[in-house]
Amino acid sequence: MLNAAHPERPDALTWVFLGLGLLLLPLGLYLALAAPPDVNQGYLARIMYLHVPGAWLGYLAFAVTFVYSLLYLFRQDPRYDRVASASAEIGLVFMGLALVTGMLWARPTWGVYWTWEPRLTTTAILFAVYVGYFLLRGAIEDPELRRKAAAAVGILGFLNVPISYMSVKWWRSLHQTQSIDLTTGKIHMDPAMLQALLLNLVVFTFLYLGFVRFRGFLAALEERKEEA
Amino acid sequence: MLLRLEALSKRFGRDWVIRDLSLSLDRGEVVALLGPNGSGKTTLLRLMAGLLKPTRGRVERQGHALFLPNPPAFHRHLTAREHLLFDLAFHGAAGDWEGALKRFGLPAELPLAAFSSGMKKRLALARLTLLRPDLWLLDEPETALDQEGRALLQETIREARKGASVVLATHDRALAEAVADRAVWLGAA
Amino acid sequence: MWLLALRDLRLEVRDRAGLLSVLAFLGVTLFTMALALGPEEAPLRRAAPGVLWVALAFLSTLLSTRAFALEVEEGTLEDLLLAPGGKEWIYFGKLLFQMLLLLPLSLLALFLAAGLFYLPLEKGLPLFLTLALGTLGYASVATFYAGLLSRLRGREALLPLLLFSLVVPVVLASVRATAGLLEGLPLEEVASWWQLLLVFDAVYVTASALLFPLVMDG
Repeated sequence: MLNAAHPERPDALTWVFLGLGLLLLPLGLYLALAAPPDVNQGYLARIMYLHVPGAWLGYLAFAVTFVYSLLYLFRQDPRYDRVASASAEIGLVFMGLALVTGMLWARPTWGVYWTWEPRLTTTAILFAVYVGYFLLRGAIEDPELRRKAAAAVGILGFLNVPISYMSVKWWRSLHQTQSIDLTTGKIHMDPAMLQALLLNLVVFTFLYLGFVRFRGFLAALEERKEEA
Repeated sequence: MLLRLEALSKRFGRDWVIRDLSLSLDRGEVVALLGPNGSGKTTLLRLMAGLLKPTRGRVERQGHALFLPNPPAFHRHLTAREHLLFDLAFHGAAGDWEGALKRFGLPAELPLAAFSSGMKKRLALARLTLLRPDLWLLDEPETALDQEGRALLQETIREARKGASVVLATHDRALAEAVADRAVWLGAA
Repeated sequence: MWLLALRDLRLEVRDRAGLLSVLAFLGVTLFTMALALGPEEAPLRRAAPGVLWVALAFLSTLLSTRAFALEVEEGTLEDLLLAPGGKEWIYFGKLLFQMLLLLPLSLLALFLAAGLFYLPLEKGLPLFLTLALGTLGYASVATFYAGLLSRLRGREALLPLLLFSLVVPVVLASVRATAGLLEGLPLEEVASWWQLLLVFDAVYVTASALLFPLVMDG
């Protein structure tokens, strides 16, 4: 996923990912809209085609940030940091999409926009961690210290995922009586629905890869300008 | 070879403070860094100490370096005795702290808040003689010192070079000529 | 590590201003919260664990900033960094210093809360264990971030933001464990929260100690 040290323009692979993503996006949307409505939830279930890939890639993106932050701290090569921060940025966008679509879905389904369900809470915490990640980056002028500090936040923040999840899960189970679990509201999928969902997942993954590579390229340009 | 700098460059923001500097230093050598304010003397010392990372180039260092900032840094609520005892213990070293204080003419039980800047300089030198680093990095060690203090400083540097080497940044040509084997001139930025 | 912690403790005691402000903060917070939520006994008692742990969370941010602010103000952090031996010992020393202050302070907070919020204190030892595990959770992350941000302006604003998103599990687990103990739940039910705290503490002390030398260097 690394770009060359001093690229002049985004490389071919970046364009391929972006192109495939953008080309397939209308197809994904078409399949999503053409898929049969859910038995229980009707047309509302269609929000899933955006929600699930968004959340999935958000987590993937933060995992990538985690790995590249570790690599940066041990190898001290700014390229790793560029990938980590690009991935966090795109991850924040996807995660935001997942949170918003989730809330839109929750309102008619559960009657509330928000509930302290473990997965939701963990996601919100993770979202806050990466907002902090970018505030921190903005606050540090020295590039080296900025990269190191960001890497530390990227690592500690991601380690927190399983622990937060467990804590919120127990917290609710011991406390609240009402229980809304995403897994109990499981949608049994029609093959057409599954197809549409998987295609959208692939489309989003392409978009993610393309965006991260493109963002990494922009970051490299920015850095070069800063140096000149 | 105690210290080797290879094509060292350091930039803060957009400004290059040090460009392409190479230097090597053997045990027993004393080098003076000369140059006007803002020419990068302190930055170079901090790079040598490893407190700063070079933007480009490399610093290779063997042995243990200590940096004496100007003005020296101490906790004002500790006494000279407590400070030296802590430093010795924290560095895992042993030394005659009472003798060192006596030699530099310092009171042991006075909190450092009551020390003058010259006394703090003396304490910083006493601290270095106790901790015995391989590389002494002194930033304007002569400032704030009186005649007697300067004599002590020269004596300390001459003693230090027996087992270690010294790099001092200074504006005092006479001091540089008296103690240093070589001088490195840093131009204005 | 003990050396550093004990020296810091001595500095803190001699400085007085810092400790006094911390104590004042603790007293004022608990007192104001009690006024705001009172005067009926039942709601006060229900809110007490939450109030206690939120107060302790802010307390640990205050303390951790101080642990490094003193070094940075005086310029002595570099002396520590130049000492031979691993830099992780600086982290452990600072962490120990925080715990040495946080433990008595959290006990004090517990007694204050007991007085103001009508809490029963029969289960002294399990309560103390909860305090120790919870404050260690706070301090492990707070010390790391305070060190990381020590060379930065505006750290007072950034630290809570970075910190609180990470310590959510500690807040939840500590509050639940404390509430459980105060309500007289059997220890087995509280033990799972202790386990969670223990996992958090172990993960973050280890991760911070490993990362600390990397981020402090250069």
